[in-house]
Amino acid sequence: MKVITAYCNLRADECLVNGEVVARRDAGSEDSWFKQIYRQQELAYPKFYKMDVLSQAGYLASEFIKRANPGIFEGYADDEIALVFANASSSAETDRRFMQSYQTGGSPSPSLFVYTLPNIVLGEIAILNKWYGENMFAVLPKFTPGFYLDYSEILLASGSRALLGGWLEVTAGSTYVFLFLVEQRESGTEFNNENLLHLSQTGSVAAY
Amino acid sequence: MDSLKEDLKKQIIEQLNLEDLTVADIADDALLFNDQGLGLDSIDALELIVLLEKYHGIQLTNPEEGKEAFKSVDTMAAYIRKRKAA
Amino acid sequence: MGVCITGIGVVSAIGMSVNENLNALREGRTGIGPLHYLQGTKASLAGEVKASNDELRAALGVGTEYVSRTSLLGLQAAREAWGDNKRSGVIRTGLISATSVGGMDRSEVFYKDYLAQNNPDYQLLTTHDSGSTTERIAKELGITGYINTLSTACSSGVNAIMLGARLILQGTLDRVLVGGSDALSGFTIDGFRSLMIYDDQWCRPFDDSRAGLNLGEGAGFLLLEGEKSLELTGNSPICNVSGWANAADAYHQTASSPDGKGATLAIENAIRRAGIGLDQISYVNAHGTGTKNNDHSESVALQNVFGDRVPPFSSTKAFTGHTLAAAGAIEAVFSVLAIQHNLIFPNLNYRAPIAETGLVPATQLETGVEVHAVLSNSFGFGGNNSSLVLTKYE
Repeated sequence: MKVITAYCNLRADECLVNGEVVARRDAGSEDSWFKQIYRQQELAYPKFYKMDVLSQAGYLASEFIKRANPGIFEGYADDEIALVFANASSSAETDRRFMQSYQTGGSPSPSLFVYTLPNIVLGEIAILNKWYGENMFAVLPKFTPGFYLDYSEILLASGSRALLGGWLEVTAGSTYVFLFLVEQRESGTEFNNENLLHLSQTGSVAAY
Repeated sequence: MDSLKEDLKKQIIEQLNLEDLTVADIADDALLFNDQGLGLDSIDALELIVLLEKYHGIQLTNPEEGKEAFKSVDTMAAYIRKRKAA
Repeated sequence: MGVCITGIGVVSAIGMSVNENLNALREGRTGIGPLHYLQGTKASLAGEVKASNDELRAALGVGTEYVSRTSLLGLQAAREAWGDNKRSGVIRTGLISATSVGGMDRSEVFYKDYLAQNNPDYQLLTTHDSGSTTERIAKELGITGYINTLSTACSSGVNAIMLGARLILQGTLDRVLVGGSDALSGFTIDGFRSLMIYDDQWCRPFDDSRAGLNLGEGAGFLLLEGEKSLELTGNSPICNVSGWANAADAYHQTASSPDGKGATLAIENAIRRAGIGLDQISYVNAHGTGTKNNDHSESVALQNVFGDRVPPFSSTKAFTGHTLAAAGAIEAVFSVLAIQHNLIFPNLNYRAPIAETGLVPATQLETGVEVHAVLSNSFGFGGNNSSLVLTKYE
């Protein structure tokens, strides 16, 4: 059966892995929330600083899933892990920054421009892990478990053996990131509509 | 403190939109294009070429030329001083 | 029987039709030169189609001025590939058209007026959408079953062909017109110039001194048919679309990997899908843009796959310029011509091999060879790598 073997929830002021809080936002810090996590967790990937917020979120959450389950990806060939991400506002936050770069800065910035697509986050994760499997980024009205369930049917029937799913909504006003790993197992948290909805909400109560 | 190097760090952060970084995060000899350094790439090299022209009035037309100059903040400062002296 | 090609159409800097393109390829005549129609860019050389928008509209019988150059070029090539075929209530027919700039050429006219507050014509923007070319072609040819527009940078044209072939094999469609179209625009020319990969001299694919690409414009279309369609139309197959693959590099958002990983995967998988041996590839129509990065990466990939037995290869981009989303389709048409006429096209402007790889492309037109199978590569920014294998119909 298809089972959710790990998940990460990244919210406006806390980060949880498999339901456990691993980082809390320090409201007094001048650093951005994602930089606080990067520092606190002693991650070492300087490219992090170049990434837009969507890529930073995807990078952090996927690294936490790896950490929480050491060796979890080693049983797969480099093209057997599919990435299926989605959000509602595409790369709007970065698009806006890019627009500002040429409206106020005089010339468009190529280093911002490369992030003006939502699927770049998939590229960042694939580049870091050297994954060559299927990947897709959809822009949907809201988080819909059915989207991932349907896609998993197609992907797992055509060469992929695991699926890293994600909902990454990072805007000026809110941070709502949920990454989850789906694998074939004898038992565990079944990959279904109910569980996906439930896990996507993890931590949102505790935060307020 | 070498003010040219400090300025360069500020300009790199500004030009490359690295606002999560501070001047203190960049060592003078950190390899800018190394994954352990700043992890910059060919697109960023173009931004550094723009930076040289915008802040220092130095034109660099061949991206290959930048390879040596853009190794670190140290080499960038040396390159700027050399070009200004010439 | 698989998927057959029964019609081809092309317009590019070297001609307005398949025949004109074939003649220029045979004669080694490039279409790249100073810009004549597009004004206001800094490029000294580009592969412009030798006709104004007014001339294209007159020749095509298009009355409205609200049509992009991308659409006009697309219509020209699509009509040629479609030929005398008729719409049919029985044959499930689709259209897949690729583009990268869409109607940017018209939007630039609008934007200039808009910025100057010079009475901008908002209706020009109706041609901006990438799908407007596809819809115009579909309407003109009466295709209503399945209409799709692809935009995956420089691999778009091959991806359109690949998707079309798969839709036929899976039984979703019986025939499908596939291809791509892109017009030159200030946006693309100045964009590539800002990346410092636009050569102000003639581009020199696979030459050690290569310093960038020259952009071009044009369109290519191919009519693909499956067994059922062939029975009903009675068309004669020219070639088979036998293999295809798309693979990522997992290296960088815009650059190709120095070890050519994605390109290697695409080439290998396409040949495997075609079910032929490496030694059966008679000719490789390379992506060969003339940039330092692509040509090096592609050379490494060819060596990864073929070892020291790399088949005769050339890039035809020194004839046409790099036509972006149209490139894969235009070069698929050239590959069909290579098979049809047993030709290997020369790689113009080549002088010395790339030091790191030492590969030498075909530099003269070769006519005395049997061309049975052609591999055509199209590699896009961000490691969107696609390869296509076309084989002689037997």
